[in-house]
Amino acid sequence: MTNVLSITLWLPIASAVLLLVFPKTAANAIKAFGLLASIATFIASLGILGQFKEGVAGLQLVESLAWIPQWGIRYSLGVDGISLWLILLTTLLTPVVFLSSWNTIHKHPKEYVIAFLIMEAAMIGVFVASDLILFYVFFELTLLPMYLVIGVWGGANRIYAAIKFFLFTIAGSLLMLLGIIYLGFAHYHDTGTITFAITELYGTSLAPHAQTLLFFAFALAFAIKVPLFPLHTWLPDAHVEAPTGGSIILAGVMLKMGTYGFLRFVLPFFPDATAKYAGLLIALAVIGVIYGALVAWVQPDMKKLVAYSSVSHLGFCVLGIFALNQTSIEGSILQMVNHGLSTGALFLCVGVIYERRHTRLLADYGGLAKTMPVFATFFIISMLSSVGLPGLNGFIGEFLILAGSFQTSPRWTVIAATGVILAAIYLLWLIQRVFFGPITKEENRNVREIAWNEIAALVPLVILMVWIGVRPNTFLRKMTPSVQQLLQIVHKTDASKAMIARSSLPRHNSSLAPDVGGVR
Amino acid sequence: MNLTPLLEPGWLNAILPELILSIGGILLILFDAFAPKLRGATAPLAVIVFLAAGWSERLLIGGNFFGGTYQISGITAIFDYTFLLAAVLATLFARAYLAREGFERGEFYALLMWGTTGMMMMAKGLDLLVVILGLELLSICIFVLVGFHRRIAVSNEASLKYFLMGAFATGFVLYGTALFYGATGSTNLAAFSHYFATADPGNPLLTIAFILLMSGLGFKLAVAPFHGWAPDVYQGAPSPVAGWLSVAPKAATLIALVRIFSSMTPVIQQASWMKMVAALSILSMIIGNAVAIAQRDLKRMLAYSGIAHVGYMLIALLSLRDESVAAISVYVITYALMNIGAFGVVSMLAKNQNDPQTLDDIAGLGFRRPFYGLALTICMFSLSGLPPTAGFIAKFYIFKTAVDSGHMTVAFIGILTSIVSVYYYLRVVYFLYMKEPETADSHGETQAISDPRLPISVLLDADIFGTGALLISLIGIFAIGLFPTPLFDAAGAAARALLP
Repeated sequence: MTNVLSITLWLPIASAVLLLVFPKTAANAIKAFGLLASIATFIASLGILGQFKEGVAGLQLVESLAWIPQWGIRYSLGVDGISLWLILLTTLLTPVVFLSSWNTIHKHPKEYVIAFLIMEAAMIGVFVASDLILFYVFFELTLLPMYLVIGVWGGANRIYAAIKFFLFTIAGSLLMLLGIIYLGFAHYHDTGTITFAITELYGTSLAPHAQTLLFFAFALAFAIKVPLFPLHTWLPDAHVEAPTGGSIILAGVMLKMGTYGFLRFVLPFFPDATAKYAGLLIALAVIGVIYGALVAWVQPDMKKLVAYSSVSHLGFCVLGIFALNQTSIEGSILQMVNHGLSTGALFLCVGVIYERRHTRLLADYGGLAKTMPVFATFFIISMLSSVGLPGLNGFIGEFLILAGSFQTSPRWTVIAATGVILAAIYLLWLIQRVFFGPITKEENRNVREIAWNEIAALVPLVILMVWIGVRPNTFLRKMTPSVQQLLQIVHKTDASKAMIARSSLPRHNSSLAPDVGGVR
Repeated sequence: MNLTPLLEPGWLNAILPELILSIGGILLILFDAFAPKLRGATAPLAVIVFLAAGWSERLLIGGNFFGGTYQISGITAIFDYTFLLAAVLATLFARAYLAREGFERGEFYALLMWGTTGMMMMAKGLDLLVVILGLELLSICIFVLVGFHRRIAVSNEASLKYFLMGAFATGFVLYGTALFYGATGSTNLAAFSHYFATADPGNPLLTIAFILLMSGLGFKLAVAPFHGWAPDVYQGAPSPVAGWLSVAPKAATLIALVRIFSSMTPVIQQASWMKMVAALSILSMIIGNAVAIAQRDLKRMLAYSGIAHVGYMLIALLSLRDESVAAISVYVITYALMNIGAFGVVSMLAKNQNDPQTLDDIAGLGFRRPFYGLALTICMFSLSGLPPTAGFIAKFYIFKTAVDSGHMTVAFIGILTSIVSVYYYLRVVYFLYMKEPETADSHGETQAISDPRLPISVLLDADIFGTGALLISLIGIFAIGLFPTPLFDAAGAAARALLP
């Protein structure tokens, strides 16, 4: 199969179209079909993993067809070490969503499944597109289903949250569209050929002034998506109001579209501006780490707590990206996957108890470990993975990020490291108040234990948390060549040469990753 | 003085579509008069006449006719097809509407045909007088069509408003033309080209003439600040007419403007008249999008969104290049599909013309009537310019020409106002899917309509003509959105032929 990317991309859409003929009332058949379709997509994406060649830096499994030849726009797909794990994360989390919401979605199940399948395809499209316009189309396409998911199946204040989510994202991405067009023309005037192929656009020569403007046009779009402080305000609203499945996808995959955008576009397109403004982005990221952690600490609402912890954790990813060295960027990519697994699991767990008790307030719980021991185990493992306990995935990602960025910006890294401690505080406190201590509320005595579908959804996540924690090299070595190539592009320009000279460590440092793996 | 014979060989071919439409309209009225019992067949007959006119486009021979006053070329064919598309969609939506309101008449479709004839004349006129003639023919048809629902006060009010304002606008156009005649000694655009090649850009007479002409045509375009009539007229007019009115006359005026502007180069750039056009564009985008937020009535909201869309189209007009003409033609075709589609859904959902279609009326409709809900949703997403719909491609084309020709400021304002527009288009989707109907009356309807059958069978007992029109719109929106290449080829080739 040479077109395994296309198969993975179009399978969910084809399934969504097939679902249209299902009668509305056949809720179980619809859910079962959705689950099967998403599992089939996951298997197809394992085909991508199987055909992926280690040690190749550039795009692999490339497919390319003319789409709008007048504008040089092509339907071209490809995968490299940066996008590989994000694709698999997407295809893994979608069946998890269908499993976890098996018994919780009673309103319009057909539309729910269709929305998630289209969203899955759009997210895969974002990660596999190697044409800038094709990327943009998928990037925007993810918004519509998520808007509907929050707005139709969300909580009490869902409308406000859905519209805020949509407007924030679209504001950034429309400005980026203007930047994309401008970049395309800059390349056209530069070379005489019109193209939006991402790899062709690398190295487009831009006037410093234009490069700065474009850098901010792109960075704004992705910073809103990540979200970076102070553009994060849509995130807690969206998470609190979204149904559990929406939260899992939103935190698990959609936020990564922002960090992925930084890696794929901002860094290689605008290396001079990146070198110039990396400090600003690092500062915002670290502020996000601390701010997110502090706000999470004082949340009385569990879901909001996890949402703010996302702001904090994604801050680490952005810090790692803009530290601009091999270790930190590899750590960042790994941390994107880690965050998808652990925060996805945490949102799932919050959904499980919310569905049983219809409250998310910490104060309403206590002593649940006695009534729901299995559930408590899963919750605590996910929490520890999020905290960064050695032996689980979160530790590897955060350690690599901190070790790498300490080379380039030690001061900010030291501040960011306190975020790890804060994470331990607010997450352990969450666990303590929910699961331990005496049962203070009568309602908590007879809470139903976690069901088969919820266990089935959590088990693969927990397995991966341990796997990444113990054998990170399985994952890291596939991304190493691509990250090296990215850094070569970024460091090729004069402005950032000084940066290499100042810290001539990245190359030596890249051997750190295997060490870490070996120790575990 | 021009001494070439007024009837060149092939002249009959040159006006074949116009002839078919004019005669078809007359025959349709006669049919209605002599066979009143077969009234139900008038709409299909009208569609056949429109298709025949479309087919006759293939027989046209390019070139100038009637003493250099009438031009047939690739771009006129594209605009003719756009007018016919708009007319066919309006006809299909109108059938159920007219039957429901109880005045199914052949005149309605005849007026659409004659109006389309007028627009074709505007698109082809190489002489300002021909353009004005077409404009008048169009306007008279619109006056009647807007007030077609003559027993209802709002419809009459709309007609009167359009008539009074339209009369003024025509006066402005004529006055401007007279001043141009005074300066250039001709109303012919070829003569304009000669004159403007060496004209003094500082000549105040020309500037006044240009302002008068733009004010008059700006009225037809519903461009801010000449937009005041649009919301009232759209609201009062029969919904299918409003949809047609919001698209076709604007397209005709735009192509006429392309011709007029290109005959005025280079003065039009030197005398900073283009800055005036840029100001109209910016004003339209800001006013249209900002005021649309405050609208609860769907037709009024679409009116203001239409004002904004003309603003986007004017962006392309700022640089008179083949790319921009192609961008405008792609935009008007797209706009015809999505806007008439949106008006069509509004028309099909209303119980009668007096029934205002507010956002509250469509609350929860997406799940009760899935096809209409989905259709309106897709039209809204296309209007807001989101991929993978045609609206995205059209808007992308406009902004691409703007960036390419260096109009970054206008493009930037266009992007910012687009963000605003997403809010009110999205609000329609919010009412469709996320809001429950409030009144007890609607709840009764809920029980009556929601049934567990397959969507297909629900479709089949709906209005077939309207459903067909909606399907044309939706397929068109996705076809252009996903595979715009053939349209780009056609529009690009035609535009290159128009502007050497």
